[in-house]
Amino acid sequence: MKTPNLRAGLPMLGMVAVGMLAGCSSVSDVTKERVARSESSVQQAQQTVGNSESGALELQRAKDNLATAQAALAKKEAQKAERYGQLAQLDAELAIAKSQSASARKAADEVLASIQTLRQEAARGVVANDQ
Amino acid sequence: MKRIYNLILAAAVTSTLAACSSTPPRIEELEVARAVVPQVESSPRAGVAATNIAEARKSLDRANRLADSGGKVGDVEFEATVAARNAQIANEKILTAQAKEEIDKGQSERQAVLIEAREAESRRRAQQAQSAQQQAQMAEQRASSLEQELANLKAKKTDRGMVLTLGDVLFDTGLATLKPGAYSTIDRLATVLKEAQDRKVLIEGHTDSVGADDYNQQLSERRAAAVQTALLERGVSSSQITALGKGETFPVASNDNAGGRQQNRRVEMVFTDNASQVASDTQ
Repeated sequence: MKTPNLRAGLPMLGMVAVGMLAGCSSVSDVTKERVARSESSVQQAQQTVGNSESGALELQRAKDNLATAQAALAKKEAQKAERYGQLAQLDAELAIAKSQSASARKAADEVLASIQTLRQEAARGVVANDQ
Repeated sequence: MKRIYNLILAAAVTSTLAACSSTPPRIEELEVARAVVPQVESSPRAGVAATNIAEARKSLDRANRLADSGGKVGDVEFEATVAARNAQIANEKILTAQAKEEIDKGQSERQAVLIEAREAESRRRAQQAQSAQQQAQMAEQRASSLEQELANLKAKKTDRGMVLTLGDVLFDTGLATLKPGAYSTIDRLATVLKEAQDRKVLIEGHTDSVGADDYNQQLSERRAAAVQTALLERGVSSSQITALGKGETFPVASNDNAGGRQQNRRVEMVFTDNASQVASDTQ
């Protein structure tokens, strides 16, 4: 148990050391990964939201934040890249959550409407051997 | 005018300066976070977004601490925004969970409505079947009361149906008027015929061979018509009755003796067995 932990920890330690040595002039891999993760989250949100209205605003904000994060990364502004990357990530998640809740709401409304219709039909006695 | 303008400008500058120096500046993002985070935390469905809610609380606490200790506005804004976004994500997840609960509830409700509708339908069918059966029973009873009456009146069963013969004695000699002695039979037949409106009766007049054929034909027709009239007077539907004269052509006994001739002078009432069968079709 101890050995694999040590093995996994060593490269991490190395990375941190490299990052520290690079200092302010460079951006750590952690930040780069952060921005890269945000990028894939934004892509995922793009697929989920598609052309629908729900989540479109948040998706746009995610894209804007991602662009800012990438620009900051290019300019080696580590903290800015990190923060905008995180905001892009959150906006992408929010876009997905909004899109999903809108579809769930729509489905729920449809079920409720179908029950309403069914009740009316039942009252008129037209529900014969459905199902 | 210019002085007033300058005064306003000075005031504006002062207030701007004051705003910059005032220790806790009003940060919009922080206000939003402070409003939405407790909202999702108190939701009964908070469990579906526990991670986001925990993150939101952590960031809000951090933002509050930074704001209280005079941290950079940018730092406060960032933490507050992270808190607000997490709370908003949590809110959407809660709404999704709520909608899914409605769908689940709705589906079982839909099922219940369907079951109820089907039960109501089968109750309706059972009722229909029952009333159809009752009607059938009543029709049978009506039919059987006709059969019963015909049996009581000693009608004979033949291939043409039940045949009831009204003998010569029930008519005035050589006339087509019914004697009062026939009335009770006619009354009883009228009663059962009115109950069994799907049954039809064919009334045939017959004579013996004495006298001219034309005369016998006419007499047989008039006697059949007299019975028909008597039934109509008692309320039997004309659609149930056909009356015709057969003259002397269908004797039931020998015309050589008085007894036989009396038997031949008669009116026969033929009742069809089958409700749909028209009496005259069986000829």
